[in-house]
Amino acid sequence: MSDITELDTPAEVGHQMREEIRQISVRVRARRQLRSRIMVTLCAVALAITAVPLVLLMYQLFRRGLPVVLHAGFFTQLPQTPSLIAPNATGGVSNAILGSLVLTVYAAIMAIPVGVLAGVYLAESDSKLAAVLRVVAQTMAGAPSILMGLFAFAFVVRALHVGFSAIAGSFALAVLMLPVIVISSEIAVRGVPSTLREAGLALGAKPHMVSLKIVLPAAVTGIVTGIILAISRAIGETAPVLLVIGGGYINSWKPLNPVSALPLLIFEDAKSEWPSLRTEVWGIALVLVAFVFVLSLSARIWASRKQQAR
Amino acid sequence: MSFIIPPDFSDDEVVPEFHAGATSRTWYHYVLIAASLVFAAVSVGFVGTILWNSLPEWSHHPGTLLAGSGWQAPLGPFGGLAMIVGTLETSAIALGVAVIIGLGTSISIVFLVPRRLRNVIATLVDLLAAVPSIVYGLWGFLVLAPWMLQTVDPFLNRLPFARVIFGNPSQEFGTSLLLAAVVLSVMILPTFVAISREVISVVPQDLIEASLSLGATRWQVIREVVLPTAKIGLFGATFLALARATGETVAVALVAGGVANTQFHLLYPGTTIASWIATQFGEAQGNAVSALMALGVLLMIVNFSLSLMSRWLVVRQRKVLAVV
Repeated sequence: MSDITELDTPAEVGHQMREEIRQISVRVRARRQLRSRIMVTLCAVALAITAVPLVLLMYQLFRRGLPVVLHAGFFTQLPQTPSLIAPNATGGVSNAILGSLVLTVYAAIMAIPVGVLAGVYLAESDSKLAAVLRVVAQTMAGAPSILMGLFAFAFVVRALHVGFSAIAGSFALAVLMLPVIVISSEIAVRGVPSTLREAGLALGAKPHMVSLKIVLPAAVTGIVTGIILAISRAIGETAPVLLVIGGGYINSWKPLNPVSALPLLIFEDAKSEWPSLRTEVWGIALVLVAFVFVLSLSARIWASRKQQAR
Repeated sequence: MSFIIPPDFSDDEVVPEFHAGATSRTWYHYVLIAASLVFAAVSVGFVGTILWNSLPEWSHHPGTLLAGSGWQAPLGPFGGLAMIVGTLETSAIALGVAVIIGLGTSISIVFLVPRRLRNVIATLVDLLAAVPSIVYGLWGFLVLAPWMLQTVDPFLNRLPFARVIFGNPSQEFGTSLLLAAVVLSVMILPTFVAISREVISVVPQDLIEASLSLGATRWQVIREVVLPTAKIGLFGATFLALARATGETVAVALVAGGVANTQFHLLYPGTTIASWIATQFGEAQGNAVSALMALGVLLMIVNFSLSLMSRWLVVRQRKVLAVV
C-alpha cells in the first residue's frame, strides 16, 4: 500500500483503494463459492451413499425372493427338512405365517385396550402419574426388543409355568406394542381441537360423555394409525419371540402350543448348510417386508386422506 | 411432528376433562386410571423381573461379569468383557459412519432436493426405518459377508498396520465385528436421518433468509446458521441412533460371528451384549440364565439413559426454536 501515499488527489486515493478492495472481495467470494460448492456436493454424495446399500438391499430382496414366493405351495405347505435324497425339498412356510398372525392377534388383543385407554388418560389428566407415565412410555418405546423376550421368559414361561408357547410370545410383543400405542393415542387425543370439546361442554354434556362421544371419534384416525404402526413393528420382531415361542412345526393357533414365526424362521434357516433353505429365506423376508410396507403405507395414506377431508 | 420423539406436553394447558371436580369421578375416569395402572404395572414388572432374575449373578460375581473374559456355559465363570467391548466397538463405528453420512443426507433432503421429491424421499426413509432388522441381518449375512471375505478383507489387510487394527482375516464365513458395524450403520441411518431431517427442517426460514441476504453462500448458511441452531436436536438424534445400535440384536447375531473372544480386532468374529443373549439363551440353564439376565440389565441401563438423554435434548431443541 506504500504507493498510495505518492498519489496526489484524495479522489484518486479513494479510487485506488476501492479497486483493491473490490479485487480482494472478488477473490474471497470465489473462494467462498468454491468451498460452498464442494461442501454441498459432498452432502449430495452422502445422500447417494445412503441410498446405495438400501437400494441394493431392496433389489436383492425382490430378485431372490420373488421366485421363492411364486413357487407352488410356499404359502400353503408345511416345511420339510431337506435331506441327501431330496436336497431341494423345503416345502412351504404355512406354519410360520399362521404363527406370526396368531402371535400378532393375541398381542393386539392384549395391548390395544390398555394402550388406548392409558393414552387417553395421559392426554386428559395432569396428575403426577400421567407425567411419570409419559416419560416411562417414551423410554419403554425405545427399549431393546430382546429385553421383552427376557421379561416374557422370566414371567410367563417360568414364573407362571406356561412353558414355551404362543401366548408367551404374544405377551412379549404386547409389551413391545403397548408404549407405542400409548404415545400415539395421547398425540391423537391432544390433536383434537379444544373448540370441539368446549362446544360439547357448553351444551351441557358431562365431561366423560364429551370425551367418549366427541373427542374419541375425532381422534380415531390417529389412534388407529398408531395401532397399525405398532402392529407392523411387532410382526417383524425376532428377538422377543426367539426366546419364548418354542418354534412349532405344525399349523397351530392354540395359545398354549409352541408356534413358529416368519422372522424366527429367517433367523434359523439363514445359517442352514442347505442351499435350498438359504434361498427360501429370501422369500420369507420378502413376505415380511411386504407385510410391513403395506401396513405402514396404508396407515400413512389413510391418515393423510382423513386429514385432508377435515 | 415426529412420532419417534413426540412433543413434550408437560407444559401444555390442561384439557378441562378432569377439572370439573366431583362430576368427573365417573366409571369412565376409573377405567382410564385402571388402564394406566396396568401399563405402569407392566413397566415396573418389566424392569423388576429382569433385575430380580439377574440378582444371583450380580451378588456372586459382579466383577467377572463386568470385566472378566471367557464364558463357560453351564457353570461359569461368565465374563462379560467380550460382549461389552464388542458392543462399544461396533456401535461407535456404526454411529460415526451414520452421523457423518446421515447429516449430509438430511442436509441434502432439506436444502437440495426439489420440494416435490422431498416428501417422497421422507416417506421412503421412514419406510426403510420400518424394515425388520432380521432382513438387514439376512442381507448382511448372505450378501455382504461373502463380499467382505473375497474383496474387502484382503484389501484392508494390505494397508499398513493392518494386523494391529484388523487382525488376520481367517474366518470361513466372513462374519466379523467390522461387518456388524457396517450392517449396523446401514440400519441406523434411516432412524438418524428421519429425526435429523425433522430437526433441520424446522430451523426458521427467517434466519436462513437473513443470512442469505447478507451475502452468505449456501454452505455458510448451513454451517453458521442451520447447524448451530439445530445442534441440540442433532445430539438428540445421535443419542437415539446410539440407543438403537446398542440394542440391536438379531441382525448382529447373524453377522458378528457370535464368538466371545477378547481379541477385539475388527476382522475377528465377535459379539455384542444383545446378540449374545439371543444366541446363548436357547441352551442356557441355571446360572447361565441369571448371567444373561445380568447382561440384559446392563443393556437396559445403557439404553434407558440414552433414550432419556435424547428425549430431553430434542424437547429442549423444540423449546429453543419456539423462542426464536
